[in-house]
Amino acid sequence: MFNFWQLVRNENLKIYSRIQTWFMIGFIVILQIGLSALLKFIPSEFEPISWAAMFEQTYILFFFIAIFTVVVAANSVANEFSSGTIKLLLIRPWSRSKILLSKYVSILLFGLLLGAIMFVLTLGVNLLLFPFDNSNSVVHESFGSVRDMRPIEYILLYYGNKFIELVMLVTISFMMSAVFRSSVLAIVLSLLILTSGMGIARILFALGYEWVDYVLFLHMNFVPYLDGAPRKEEFTLPFSMAVYGVYYVIFIATTWFIFNKRDVSS
Amino acid sequence: MEFNETGKPVVQLKNVTKIIGKRKIIDGLSVDLQEAEVFGFIGPNGAGKTTTIRMMVGLISITDGDVIIRGQSIRHDFEKAIRHVGAIVENPEMYKYLTGYQNLLHYSRMVPGITRQRIDEVVELIGLKARIHDKVKTYSLGMRQRLGIAQAILHKPSLLILDEPTNGLDPQGIRELRDYLRKLAKDEGITVFVSSHLLSEMELMCDRVVIIQNGQLIDNRSIRQTAIPDTEAQRVLFEVDRAEEALEVLQGQTAGLYQGLLWVNADREEVAAINARLITAGFKVYAIRVQNKSLEDQFLEMTGGERIV
Ligand SMILES: Nc1ncnc2c1ncn2[C@@H]1O[C@H](COP(=O)(O)OP(=O)(O)OP(=O)(O)O)[C@@H](O)[C@H]1O
Ligand SMILES: [Mg+2]
Repeated sequence: MFNFWQLVRNENLKIYSRIQTWFMIGFIVILQIGLSALLKFIPSEFEPISWAAMFEQTYILFFFIAIFTVVVAANSVANEFSSGTIKLLLIRPWSRSKILLSKYVSILLFGLLLGAIMFVLTLGVNLLLFPFDNSNSVVHESFGSVRDMRPIEYILLYYGNKFIELVMLVTISFMMSAVFRSSVLAIVLSLLILTSGMGIARILFALGYEWVDYVLFLHMNFVPYLDGAPRKEEFTLPFSMAVYGVYYVIFIATTWFIFNKRDVSS
Repeated sequence: MEFNETGKPVVQLKNVTKIIGKRKIIDGLSVDLQEAEVFGFIGPNGAGKTTTIRMMVGLISITDGDVIIRGQSIRHDFEKAIRHVGAIVENPEMYKYLTGYQNLLHYSRMVPGITRQRIDEVVELIGLKARIHDKVKTYSLGMRQRLGIAQAILHKPSLLILDEPTNGLDPQGIRELRDYLRKLAKDEGITVFVSSHLLSEMELMCDRVVIIQNGQLIDNRSIRQTAIPDTEAQRVLFEVDRAEEALEVLQGQTAGLYQGLLWVNADREEVAAINARLITAGFKVYAIRVQNKSLEDQFLEMTGGERIV
């Protein structure tokens, strides 16, 4: 198992040696500070509390974090093929499955890193700039949830859900990357799901198909249950988790199966 | 088999076959490689050299047959079999945005027991020390080729597979590589499997060559045995003062003119007799030499010139 971490170290080396990665990290940092500064210095009627600022900024920043992580996931396998480095990577005493796993792990770690940067900045900067209110009523007033809990508890649960959503996006991007060896296709498809998944689900909803209940886009995260407002009345948390889980297993199995079987002759 | 076999072969290709779609790209290839042997794998473009190498390192599936490396099947015990192999498949593509050193570090992490000291040793050996901390994208083709060889020998493999390794090397580099490969085989008992178009190269470098065409083995021979026996007629060139007149004297022989020289197909004894005839007839004979068919000529003969199928 120790040796497996050497593979992950290798993947990290490849991710963090690229300028684009540092551009992504820099972009998240600057965007967060910029958003807080705008909120603070543009005159307005009322000043938000720090939790509210954090919540709103998380919504915006997550969008970019998702894009960046999806891009890294898409490049991870596809670039090895397009540059031809896959050949020298696969002729080592490691199974293809483990090499693929090390890539997957390193991508999730990158997503976690961006998430951690977002968490620390949105929390720290907004606490510095805006008034602090730690009462449970914030959860209802600023976050629009029915839960009676501390704001920090809600925020942590919210982050957890967003990470679950990110994992699914990354998994889809990774699968496209491994199956079609095209990073462009992987990025386009994942971002389409990120931006229009809900919209597509609504249209199917309106058309009244029964199977719409099982469409993945409705179960990418479980925030509706946190807020006490399921997307459809009969939806329950276990149901959503089951749908998510089935898709996840299918995607992962497809990715690994195809990557293991593939003839590397590019 | 016609060559001497000592001990068990290090690598065995057993009836290796590859079918893509409906085309048989490799057709029942069987070869044994001995320890400490430099083995040349020759064939015209599209013969199936790279395809065979890809099967030997598990990059593509083997339709039928198997490759056994140190007793382990590449099909069924990939991780155990590949441990003994270092390879370059086609071009040595490295991570361009990493330095040469980072590339080697990357591969060293994938096999237990490669120290930094070993990396330095290999860098020294391939003569890239001055540039090893530069990004690979700034390297010339020859430098990339050297780095490719470095990653292949980093873990001290017992089988080294190189697909056209002299590609992009300067004469100095080719010579160094040749000497180095021979040394690896001799001193460390490594089996070296080299594919190449540079047939003259193979002649100097290899102990044995096989020639393949259209995915089929058409010849398997030891290089040190190519000397032609005494009794066999070969082409002999005579440098004489009046070649055209001399040709008339030799009527009845298979003879001709070639670049102002007189050539005759003759065996050893006949050469002496012809020489005597020429001198008796009053010609001056300045030189006699055997026109050795190089491996290259033999290769072209066997594969039908530059026909690519
Ligand atoms: N993925 C593939 N699909 C279909 N045909 C292929 C594939 N890969 C190789 N071939 C065919 O197999 C044959 C052998 O190709 P290969 O690359 O092994 O030749 P080679 O001996 O390495 O040639 P070269 O000297 O040009 O490198 C060629 O006719 C090629 O067109
Ligand atoms: Mg080739």
